Amino acid sequence: MKIDTMRRAIRLAGLVLPMSWMAGSVAAQMRTANAQAFGVSVNTPTVNQTTPYAVLPAGEAMATDQGQSVDVAGLVSAQDAFAIVTGDADPTYGSDAVSSATLGAVSLLNGLITTDGVVAIANSTLGDGYVGSSADGSSLSNLIVNGTAVSDPAPNTRVNLPDVGYVLLNEQSVTGDGVSTSGITVNMIHVVLQQPILGILGQVIGYQTVGNIIVGSASSSVN
Amino acid sequence: MFKFRNLAMLTAPVAIALTAWSCDRQPNAVAPAIGTPLAHFQEFQCTPFKMTGGGRIDYPPGTAEKNDPASHIYETFGAHVMSSGQRDENGTCLADKGALEWIDHRPDYRVGGHPLNLHATEITFAEVAPPPATDCKDGGAHWGGKLRVQNTGQENLDFEVWDCDDGEPGVGHDGFAISVPAIGYAVMCWDSHAEPTCILTGGNRQFHPTH
Repeated sequence: MKIDTMRRAIRLAGLVLPMSWMAGSVAAQMRTANAQAFGVSVNTPTVNQTTPYAVLPAGEAMATDQGQSVDVAGLVSAQDAFAIVTGDADPTYGSDAVSSATLGAVSLLNGLITTDGVVAIANSTLGDGYVGSSADGSSLSNLIVNGTAVSDPAPNTRVNLPDVGYVLLNEQSVTGDGVSTSGITVNMIHVVLQQPILGILGQVIGYQTVGNIIVGSASSSVN
Repeated sequence: MFKFRNLAMLTAPVAIALTAWSCDRQPNAVAPAIGTPLAHFQEFQCTPFKMTGGGRIDYPPGTAEKNDPASHIYETFGAHVMSSGQRDENGTCLADKGALEWIDHRPDYRVGGHPLNLHATEITFAEVAPPPATDCKDGGAHWGGKLRVQNTGQENLDFEVWDCDDGEPGVGHDGFAISVPAIGYAVMCWDSHAEPTCILTGGNRQFHPTH
């Protein structure tokens, strides 16, 4: 019995191991490069719009979109918005992805937030012994938030907006393990719209998110 | 029993062969030009390659430092090109395909109140300046074709770019330069480098020495 069991195990290993080698080999070659960028995105219970918007198509190396004058539901207006994505997934030499969203003059929520220049850039690279992602090159020009000038905000700067919610400036989030995958998303202006949750006595017991407005977003990832 | 054993014996060599094949480099990869004179960015080879990426340049001055964002003195772009290393009857290295979108945000270059926007309509040539012939240690290229000025509708304007992958990360290392002689437009940085590229302050250029 024991010998038969061992024989069966060896036979199974003889079948399964080569298949796992092949699977590993195929996985090593299945590099991907992902990139997307947009100028303005509004998501509320009544509005769901993103423009201009570019996403890297599978097997292609570049895509672009633009809008000379953008207005979304009276919540955001923007001039000269461009979205550009480029990238390539190469099984031999690695993957790279770059995305950018640029805008001219922008006004949110009837001038509660204004800026006259937005640049969001994300890039991710894998190959030749290097793995990494960065939002270097992203910037905001002459940013005014609720009447106050904000210069060169650090990543993930939060400013509360009374009766509206809050805004995250230069919002950055990274993904990947830094070894075989890497990615980053940068949203230069992210307004989180909130409403108070009232208790039975009418007191505020918390806040709930009812919408999001994002201006200048760039994402990239590679593996 | 024999069937299982035979199947395993057949599968293993196939798997090993496939694995070895997957690790092999492409036969048309560019080899360093050993024994040849060092060239500047005016000497090129007609070999298969592709180059992708984009980003931001702060020109002038075109160095690794960002200008004050309030100045709006920067350019952003996306560009890619691919060549299989073929020549036409005149000896020109042909591009298989490519694209360029270029936006100059400088106030002095606004047209009709909007940033200057150049859009390539055709990529006609692409040639490689492989390392060590340039300062671009991962690869340099010179390519171009025809473009349209989106603001004015001017079409079929010749353009050329110089494209540099100088390692990772791209910011502070890689470079890009463009010239459109018909409208007297150029973003080029002639400093101590052999090539006229301006350093990226955002993004990356990635050279792939294969088609």
